[in-house]
Amino acid sequence: MTEEPYRWLEAIGNRREYIRDQLKGGTPVFALSRPEGILLVGVGQGASKVFEIYDRHGFAALGHPVDIEKIRQAAIEAAHMEGFNRSARDVTLRRLIGFALSTTLKNAFEQIYSPPIIVESIFAEVGDAPEEDVIVRVHFDGNHRYESNGIVVAHTDSKQEEEAAGWLRQQIKQNDSLSRAGSLCLAAWRHLIDGKPFAELQPPSDAVNKVNGKIVEAALLDRKLPGPVHYRPVDLAKFNN
Amino acid sequence: MNGDFLALLPKTNFAQLGVAASCPEPIQATTVFAFHCKDGIIIAGDHRATAGNIIFSDKTEKILELDSHSLIAIAGVPATAFEMARTLQTTFEFYRRSQLQPMSLKAKIRALSRLLRDNLPATLQGFGVVQPIFAGVEVGDANGKPAIFFYDPLGAQFEAATYAGSGSGSGSIKSVLHYLERWGQPPPAEMPLDEAVTLAVRLLMTAAEFDAATGGVHPDRRLFATIKLLSRDGIRSIPMEEQERCWREATHD
Repeated sequence: MTEEPYRWLEAIGNRREYIRDQLKGGTPVFALSRPEGILLVGVGQGASKVFEIYDRHGFAALGHPVDIEKIRQAAIEAAHMEGFNRSARDVTLRRLIGFALSTTLKNAFEQIYSPPIIVESIFAEVGDAPEEDVIVRVHFDGNHRYESNGIVVAHTDSKQEEEAAGWLRQQIKQNDSLSRAGSLCLAAWRHLIDGKPFAELQPPSDAVNKVNGKIVEAALLDRKLPGPVHYRPVDLAKFNN
Repeated sequence: MNGDFLALLPKTNFAQLGVAASCPEPIQATTVFAFHCKDGIIIAGDHRATAGNIIFSDKTEKILELDSHSLIAIAGVPATAFEMARTLQTTFEFYRRSQLQPMSLKAKIRALSRLLRDNLPATLQGFGVVQPIFAGVEVGDANGKPAIFFYDPLGAQFEAATYAGSGSGSGSIKSVLHYLERWGQPPPAEMPLDEAVTLAVRLLMTAAEFDAATGGVHPDRRLFATIKLLSRDGIRSIPMEEQERCWREATHD
């Protein structure tokens, strides 16, 4: 059937539709490049949305838990093999995404007789200064986009995702604390879940650091952390700055 | 006919492990050691690397951090020892990241043991002998205390109650540490950090006095050792300035 080109296109189209449908239950994740480092925020069940990949690399995702795990393991394996064979500085997001992950995702997406990988994700690499931070928005089909403005949202609906990112860009000021930045992410998270337009969203006046019945998963790729490992889980409620 | 069966064996063609092989003396030209002090474990080493009677380098780091709560002090053939340390660094971090929990202390100890056992052919041939010291804390146990382990070159591990030493200069150090543990006032295990740091520097100078392969520690020339403190909070390197301060305060210099 799929040997005919138009049939193949149809099958791919169906597959795309199926994956988007499966992703609908997912909740958004955020990555913000801040003076302190890169803040990753998601809301889940604990260790389900935001993860450490390598010394300077983090990962936040939504989608099927098994597929998130598959991509996470693939990224960790590729990063550690590269770091062991060469050095930790040779593990870069550009190479990780370009040569290991995006091809895996694209192949999995186009192998129409095998189960698809249902994951939308953000990969982040902290640099010595905010200008050197790399944040990549990676889609389930291997397509990916390097974001240079330091604020990235991953959600199931691309239009809402853009709206949320635009709102966060407007609201987060250069000298805002991490606590404030986290609060704004959680306000945007709630708004995305409710599916409301961002034009009517007012920034929260008080700190928002909890979501009832869920666990806020946050981590900082801390620029100033001594030693090789820069990733550390953070509790938004305990940020004092 | 004296009834000694073992004495009979070499007279027959019975193959015996190790006896027939011509194994050169293990190369362990260095001094590394670890001992308990009041604040945790002091683990230290000199900076000298030798090849026979040639000083290869006086700036070698032999105390290597494997992760946030474990260290290795290497003695033996550097090529193999450094590779073992690098393998362990990646092994521990890979496990922690992929399994979302730190590797247990027991598993870390076994991981090093396994590397040593895998190195058996090179050990038996005499060119790949490694005899490290490992120090670590059980990260998942809030009451876990830092522990020292030493190994034989074939991979057997032993926990050291108070101290361990490895390398050609470790004999004199172990004698001094034994003496201090038995009759010291206070014994090293009860020493505050400053005192323990000074002891570590003095021990390396003592080792260098009797072992040509140990060197590079001369407080009068502002050359100090690599000294690290392992505690529940993690690892702290004692910088040269701090070693110098401890040394001066102790010697009233």
